Amino acid sequence: MANKPAAKSSPPKQPAPKPAPAKSTQSEEKRTFEPKFNWMNKTRQWGVRVKPGKAGLRLGDLNVGIYGETPTQWSDQSRNPRGAVPRRGMPPVAYSIRDKAGLWADCAADLYEEAIQRRWAPATDVPWHTIEPLPDDVEHAVCQVCTELVGYANVDIETITGWQHQMSYGYHEVKQFLATASFDAARHYECFRKRALANGGGLGLEGPGMVNRMILESRGGWTEAVVYLLVTRGALTLTLYKYLGRHAHNDAECFIYGHALADKARHMTYALDHVKYAIAHADDELQIVGTLIAIGERSLARDLRDPVLKEALAVIFGGGVAKAKGRGMAVYGEMMRDFVATYTGYCQWLGVPRDPARLPPPLNEYANPTDAEA
Amino acid sequence: MAVFPSVDWFDEVRNVFNSDDRYRAAGGGFCNCVAGFKIAERVFVLTFEGVECSAAVEGDEGSLDDVDFYLEMPADDWRDMVANIAANGGADLHHTLNTLDLDRADGLATSRHGDQVREDLFFRYNQTMQFFFDASALVETQFD
Repeated sequence: MANKPAAKSSPPKQPAPKPAPAKSTQSEEKRTFEPKFNWMNKTRQWGVRVKPGKAGLRLGDLNVGIYGETPTQWSDQSRNPRGAVPRRGMPPVAYSIRDKAGLWADCAADLYEEAIQRRWAPATDVPWHTIEPLPDDVEHAVCQVCTELVGYANVDIETITGWQHQMSYGYHEVKQFLATASFDAARHYECFRKRALANGGGLGLEGPGMVNRMILESRGGWTEAVVYLLVTRGALTLTLYKYLGRHAHNDAECFIYGHALADKARHMTYALDHVKYAIAHADDELQIVGTLIAIGERSLARDLRDPVLKEALAVIFGGGVAKAKGRGMAVYGEMMRDFVATYTGYCQWLGVPRDPARLPPPLNEYANPTDAEA
Repeated sequence: MAVFPSVDWFDEVRNVFNSDDRYRAAGGGFCNCVAGFKIAERVFVLTFEGVECSAAVEGDEGSLDDVDFYLEMPADDWRDMVANIAANGGADLHHTLNTLDLDRADGLATSRHGDQVREDLFFRYNQTMQFFFDASALVETQFD
């Protein structure tokens, strides 16, 4: 890990002597600008000199002195930036998420930097010229999967932005990271739509959307949304990107799925870190997360019983309709076993272990590799 | 000519990787992790800091306890991947780290610490790892 840059700070003191205002008549004051510079005395900590390190001047490096204080509850209801002097008489904004346990993840500042520095632009970075005509059935399947992924990305955007404005400014690292996450989702929306429209096909059938509705309509708090959006749906999306990257038809698709995978892995890191933090710092949260996970599984299972995504993936994995039933479905089974293993691994790590036998069908069919392969 | 696998080989790849700005764009860049590479019985540990690969050392089996994640393949498969990269100027669709990970029953990337967040660094930094090995296309390689 890069060394933390050196930072020096000093206790609050007067930043500079206040210039004496020039003498003037009352009528002159009305006509001319007569600065008082009173604001120059307003600071809670002056003399801070944060130095850039090997990776530049990162967001987390600024957490020195009072500027790094993140209390367990943020009582200020204004938009006052953390560490600034509050202005009296500011009307409250009524943020609903003011407990640190409701949004915090220690990794948020680093993830923000990572997202900014590892950004990519679908318009110019994806080697679109490598896309060549595919058999009609395969192109249909690719477009159908892209349609589903565009829907996922849209829900990511709406969910994150729907909660972001309810989060207190005191935890700006999380708000800033989530801004990058919603931008990542916008990029995913963009590139999957572009792929669907780039090779003679078009968008296909809208997905069943049970999970979408569950995520968008959840009102229990940001942590609940994170469980549904990322722990449940995110683990599936991550696995889809891996397998679609493995079965990419050209460098453009390989690039898209590989980069979307890295973005989604970053979102998952925040999710796991946050939910773990919430469980450790909020009463009853372990049991609540356990309940949410069980609810999320049932919605996901209903979506997965819809045949459209499964069939489209089988056509891609099999290389066409003719091999979809055999090789295509075999790879789909591998993917689902990989997903269930990843998902249950995340749950285990969070301290909410899942009994594979009690997962709702069809998830339980993929819970035990030995049984599934037998 | 550098011999694969060796610290000299990894150092030559590091030099190419660290000096080419293209590896910092298009989804590359900022990468902080310690990655292990188990090539047959030999272990190499690479440190990535900021936008550079700052160190490559040879370790032992115990070194793998401390890395964020490590990639393990038989020597022949490593050679096949490096040769493919050399022949194509970068990994083709059958030799990317993601493909190699999915094609192995136990995966390519793993860890010993049980920390899911650290192990997932492989996916977060997958493109940087791919860029790193793709940089080896510019290193004249002799196989051990």
